[in-house]
Amino acid sequence: MTEKNINRRDFLKLTAVGVAVAAGTRAVTHTKASSNAPKGKHQWAMVIDQSKCTGCNYCTLACQAHNDTNPEIQWNKVLEDGMVGDKKVYVPRPCMHCEKAPCVEVCPVQASYYRDDGIVMMDYDRCIGCRYCQVACPYEARSFNWRAFTEPNPAVPEWGDPEVERRPRGVPEKCSFCYQRIDRGLSLGLKPGVDADATPACVVVCPVGARIFGDLNDPESNVSKALHENPSYRLRENLGTGPRVHYLPAVPKKEA
Amino acid sequence: MLKNLRSKLIITPWMIWLGFLGIILLGGLFAGILVFWKGLGITNLTDLVPWGLWITIDLSSIALAAGAFSLCAGVYLFGLKRYQPIARTATFVGLVGYTMAMLSLVLDIGRPDRFWHAMVHWNTHSLMWEVTMCVILYLTVLVFESMPIFASFEWFRKRFPRLASKMEHLHHYAPILAIIGLGLSSLHQSSLGAMYGVIKARPFWFKPEMSVLFMLSAIVGGIAVTLFASMLSARLTNKAKVNDALVERVAQFVGYLLIGYFYFRAWDALATTYTYDPGRTEGLQLMTKGPLAFNFWFVEMLLGMIVPMILLLYRPTRLNHFWRMTALFLVAAGVATFRWDTNISGLLVVMPYIPGQTIAYTNYEPSLIEFLTGGAIIAYGLAAFSLGVRYLRVVDHTLIEKELERVKVEATEPVTA
Repeated sequence: MTEKNINRRDFLKLTAVGVAVAAGTRAVTHTKASSNAPKGKHQWAMVIDQSKCTGCNYCTLACQAHNDTNPEIQWNKVLEDGMVGDKKVYVPRPCMHCEKAPCVEVCPVQASYYRDDGIVMMDYDRCIGCRYCQVACPYEARSFNWRAFTEPNPAVPEWGDPEVERRPRGVPEKCSFCYQRIDRGLSLGLKPGVDADATPACVVVCPVGARIFGDLNDPESNVSKALHENPSYRLRENLGTGPRVHYLPAVPKKEA
Repeated sequence: MLKNLRSKLIITPWMIWLGFLGIILLGGLFAGILVFWKGLGITNLTDLVPWGLWITIDLSSIALAAGAFSLCAGVYLFGLKRYQPIARTATFVGLVGYTMAMLSLVLDIGRPDRFWHAMVHWNTHSLMWEVTMCVILYLTVLVFESMPIFASFEWFRKRFPRLASKMEHLHHYAPILAIIGLGLSSLHQSSLGAMYGVIKARPFWFKPEMSVLFMLSAIVGGIAVTLFASMLSARLTNKAKVNDALVERVAQFVGYLLIGYFYFRAWDALATTYTYDPGRTEGLQLMTKGPLAFNFWFVEMLLGMIVPMILLLYRPTRLNHFWRMTALFLVAAGVATFRWDTNISGLLVVMPYIPGQTIAYTNYEPSLIEFLTGGAIIAYGLAAFSLGVRYLRVVDHTLIEKELERVKVEATEPVTA
């Protein structure tokens, strides 16, 4: 083989190498890809029924206990949203776990990332604390640890026991759909959304059953049914973030 | 002996200047230690306004360091060789500016111990990742570009003559470094704007022209601050020698650039509401009528653009040293104000995420700690530049001209032989 002539074997070799490299980089970029969430077996979602919510704030307190958050930080906020008839309406707001999450896209170090079940996670050991995700989040779902949380958690033990490690000072934190409960529950053969031990704490604690949790991939799940049977909306849908938290509006139900 | 020393110790303006900067640096050092010890909780930053004074200092020092790439590109790529002495100053200003930016970022991030994570854990989708990488790489380029400057330090030259000559030799790679520098700078100067421009959650930022504005303002401000620093040091010390004809020509160029910058800035601001996205009008009102109105109309538009534009394009005022310096300073101040206004205007408008709720406003004023540390970062920049002028002759337009002449003679030798 001269320098200029490439025989077929070499050509094939080169092609193979080229394809392998391309596939390799593709695979690498795929695991890193942050513009689209990978789709796994489960696709967790939450449905919040505004006609049921009474604004009692139990969800917030249970969240603070189970996730051991600083009392100044609320992963789940319950906000007032005017009146329907003579009843106050509330918008409980956890992290939306967007399908195209701005926080994941902007994070310079991939500390925010997608799990293949749709949960938008934070790697608190990787985060550098630049707060770009906070600036980018359309739902104010992220809270920064401006100071270290060292004192006892006032929500414990009344509202539950901590299940995750406290986050260090200098990183933002947010709702994780109680991934620790889901993962542990699945490993025990429980069904998230049905069995309390495998379901997010806010859903379990809700005294009026305003929160439904489950798998969108399962047409028989509570969330799939609720979304199929009722009109629903999502927050700031015009931004194209694709939130996984759906709301059933508190409009008066059709009078039959 | 003590008496002897005392008689030698005369207080010069130079010492007063260094002493003054030293006090600010000490205050900032104290405040900085407090920040690392107590955390960002002692600042006035909040979850709604997580970026404040430090980010503005970061953005501004990067912008005002842009003279390095624009002038180096002009000199080494576009063949404007006679402006090389100014490019030399600009390179040093660039080095100082980027280290200032690094300092403010180390303060600003919550986990400064993990600053290196961006180099290891790449998120290629993130504008901030791109900016971080470009800034790190460009800082490296600047270090190489400034090697010949450091090689001219007398003490260093005597102590390490071989190393000094090697460092001086890097001068020959200036065109290559200028190409890399131009690439990296164009990328991150504009991406710094795009960093804001891609945030769809904040409609006042969410626009493509953000990167154009950041790029343009950086070139204008970067060149202006280099010229201003050169002229000021030439006035204050005989260690700095300025070729006024060169400075005047570049100042005129800044005047023309200002027209473009003014046009884009005015168009960008006043056309903001064309899309009627909620939040845009509110942002514009903050700028034109609200708490930022003074900054926008008076500092940015009038003092930062229109006044210097006139002063630099009208020949009599441009030839007058006082007016030219005033104009150049105003340009730089205007660019820094633009960065502040841009950052803060997007954050102060709090977009509702619940349908039907109205837009709210928040506020932010830097805390004393932020001012002390921010002041120290600026004092560091001033001190570094002053030391450079005194010991590295970074503003010496006669120095390079000799070198150029020597090169010229060498080149003509074969012809005459």
